[in-house]
Amino acid sequence: MATVASQALPGDKGSDEATHYLTSFLNKTLHIHITDGRMFVGQMKCTDSERNIILAMTHEYRQPSQSDVKLAAERHEKAGRNGNVKVDMKKRFVGLVVVPGQYITKMEVEG
Amino acid sequence: MTEDQQHGSFNFAAHRLAQEARQALSFGSRGVKDVTAEFATAAKQLQPGQLVKDDYFTLFEAVGALEIMDPKMDSGCVPEDDSFEAEFDVCRGLEAAEIIWILDELLCLEAAWHDGYPLSQTVFTSLHVDRLLSPDNNAPYNLHYDRRPAGDLSNDEQLVHIVLRAYCLALIKCSQLVLHTVQSQNFYEEEDFVTHLFGRELLPKLSTDECYRLLDDALRFITTLNLPADTSEALKARLAFRRNYLAALIDDTDDWPDLIARMEVIDSTNSLGRPLREAFSDKVQRQLATSTPPRPMLQVSWKDAYARWTKMCAGIIETERLTSFWICQSPHCLQRAMWAFSYLEPQPNTFARAYLQDRLFGSDRITEDVSHFDLLLTDIRDLVLAGDPLADPDSFQVELPSDPRHQCSRHIEAFMDKAFEEYLNVYRMVCQNRCRIRRTFTQAIPIMDALETEAIRTDEELNRLAPREAMPNKSGAKVQLNPLTTWTKFYKVQIMARTIQLGFETEIYLPDELCTMYWLLSVFAHHQCSRIEAIERHLLVRTLSLLDHPQQNSRYAAECMASRDWLRSLHLQWDATRMMALALWRLCGILMAVRIIEAPKRDFAQDQLLYDARMKPYLSVNNEPIPSLQDLDRARQNIKSVEVTCKSIEMDVKEAKAHLAEVKMMSPEQAKYVGTEEQWKREMKQLETTCVAIAVQASQLMRIAGKHGKKGAQEGDSLKETVEASIPPPEKRYHGWWVVPQLKERKM
Repeated sequence: MATVASQALPGDKGSDEATHYLTSFLNKTLHIHITDGRMFVGQMKCTDSERNIILAMTHEYRQPSQSDVKLAAERHEKAGRNGNVKVDMKKRFVGLVVVPGQYITKMEVEG
Repeated sequence: MTEDQQHGSFNFAAHRLAQEARQALSFGSRGVKDVTAEFATAAKQLQPGQLVKDDYFTLFEAVGALEIMDPKMDSGCVPEDDSFEAEFDVCRGLEAAEIIWILDELLCLEAAWHDGYPLSQTVFTSLHVDRLLSPDNNAPYNLHYDRRPAGDLSNDEQLVHIVLRAYCLALIKCSQLVLHTVQSQNFYEEEDFVTHLFGRELLPKLSTDECYRLLDDALRFITTLNLPADTSEALKARLAFRRNYLAALIDDTDDWPDLIARMEVIDSTNSLGRPLREAFSDKVQRQLATSTPPRPMLQVSWKDAYARWTKMCAGIIETERLTSFWICQSPHCLQRAMWAFSYLEPQPNTFARAYLQDRLFGSDRITEDVSHFDLLLTDIRDLVLAGDPLADPDSFQVELPSDPRHQCSRHIEAFMDKAFEEYLNVYRMVCQNRCRIRRTFTQAIPIMDALETEAIRTDEELNRLAPREAMPNKSGAKVQLNPLTTWTKFYKVQIMARTIQLGFETEIYLPDELCTMYWLLSVFAHHQCSRIEAIERHLLVRTLSLLDHPQQNSRYAAECMASRDWLRSLHLQWDATRMMALALWRLCGILMAVRIIEAPKRDFAQDQLLYDARMKPYLSVNNEPIPSLQDLDRARQNIKSVEVTCKSIEMDVKEAKAHLAEVKMMSPEQAKYVGTEEQWKREMKQLETTCVAIAVQASQLMRIAGKHGKKGAQEGDSLKETVEASIPPPEKRYHGWWVVPQLKERKM
């Protein structure tokens, strides 16, 4: 159930295949990493030739800041645990976003 | 689309939603596959402008998407030369002067939140509050999380960890309580108030008692410090304010006047604070769950905030006064009180309005001794059934099924059940913002009309069970009172009239529509007057029959007398409204006839379509439909020349003034304005001044027309070049509901 705006030239085989491929991502959960280190996880609703991507129900994930790591390390120590300190990424809901293609560094699909 | 296809697409949509929900929940449970290169290659093969998109996703929705990495849109975007988090250590010690400043800044931001700004721009920008609310902070909510700081704390540190922390926790608790009150009542999100918490929780597990304890500890701690007396008092006043405000919010006290007094102390010591702007930052928005672009932290001056707090407390004190015992005994006194509250200057904020609603509708009683049922029954009795065994509360107690009083009471009860919601809205809706009062009243019209149909049916039953004497009406035909129909119609038309009057106040009519709307208002007022006259005739018969047997029921006789006064006051008020509306209809009508007020040029507009559009809220009325465009046009033909019209206006105004003069003499008990005497007096004055203004403008028109020899000007003539009219904005009017065009001679 996806459409392609009609500008696609009929008979352009490469383009048809590409559209077909991209269509398979619709409503799949994507993980999009961008240049500043953040990652966006949401369902793909739309894309175009510049790889701009609209994600719905999106969460933003961010690497923990230095102070977060420090704090976690102190807690870890206080609790008398050994081994590596695990710090969660900072997560927040941001809803409907468009990620411009120029900032994308990596894309992953779930499932 | 065929039905099958439709079903198909519904099913598909349902399936899709289920799938989306599953995916949203299942994050992380399945592996991910890197598709960076393939995706990029495929995207490049699309034509410029070509989109691959989900059918259920519209481009309209796409407009609402936040653009990532655009600093104006993306609240998580960190400029290159900036740090992600504010670099301020919330655990570091602060001097008393800095604490005072922070507490006052928090009061400023809290006031802005009450005023309708989101928490993300206000209270949440405090880094101390942010730390306490942080998702990884847990009870007992310390600024230093669960880390116990090494060694003894300095005084400055204790000021932060004991005083500032206690204050912030209590502030968060207060915000939670305010939010709860607002959300439990009618309000309009974004329009009145923003309830969004941006993924944070307002410490639901922190008890009020714990807040009290922390504040008390803080107060005690301050006395142990060797602070200058004024600084020490300043801190204590702020903590005491917070403690008492919290107590007032959870109904431990209702000492709002005390809060105003404390606010005065806070105001007088505000200058002791030393600014510490770093303690606040809009960078917190980078970590708040939000689907809105970043917004700057709000700047509120202390002077503004102080005024807002004082007004809010005053508003709440007023809600208590306006719902006091005697006012609540009379539905009409209470209705007046509602309007008086809504028209306090400035209009009470959302919390005060919710607080009032909560007082009246928080339970099934208005006050301890008046239930909502009593309120409605008293209303019906006051207006249409004074001194009548029908609708007498005693009749509801009769249990003998064969007794007509028992049977009638059951029918009345059934009707009241249907009327309840809309009837209580007559009170509740007045607690909304001004535009919403008008709109919800507009929506109430068809509901009231349907209720009227119900009332007609019930009245038929009542007439069958307990036949009563029919009375000749104005034209001599014998008619029944039909009490419930009359009552419902009275409220329906009152609501219709209010929508027009609020329409004037909220400026929804163009100058060329004023004429029509005033005419319609005069028609409504006319209906009300004849309805009241009919009630009066029936009341008179009832009173006389009671006088025949004076020993029988003195309560009934007293009710009749009270109702007689009440009906007379209503009659006079509606008469005054009618005459003023007629005078303004004539004034606007003649101004249009001689082209001083002109309709804007509309190429495709037809009178009927314009009429239908403007009258839309009233067109659905089936019982006694509103007049047609043809009726309106016929009426307008009575507007002849400038001279004749101005003379009629003079007569109308004179009559209106006479009615006002008479109703003004009535006591608060007679005209049911107990508790709102001051507002009543002011309103009477405003209406009288409006009358004078109408007369002045009419004679102004005469004078200018006379000067140019155009007194006889009428439809078809033009005084456009001679006279100019301006429509005063609401704040320039003597009364917001009455628009009197201002006329002046055009300079040649």
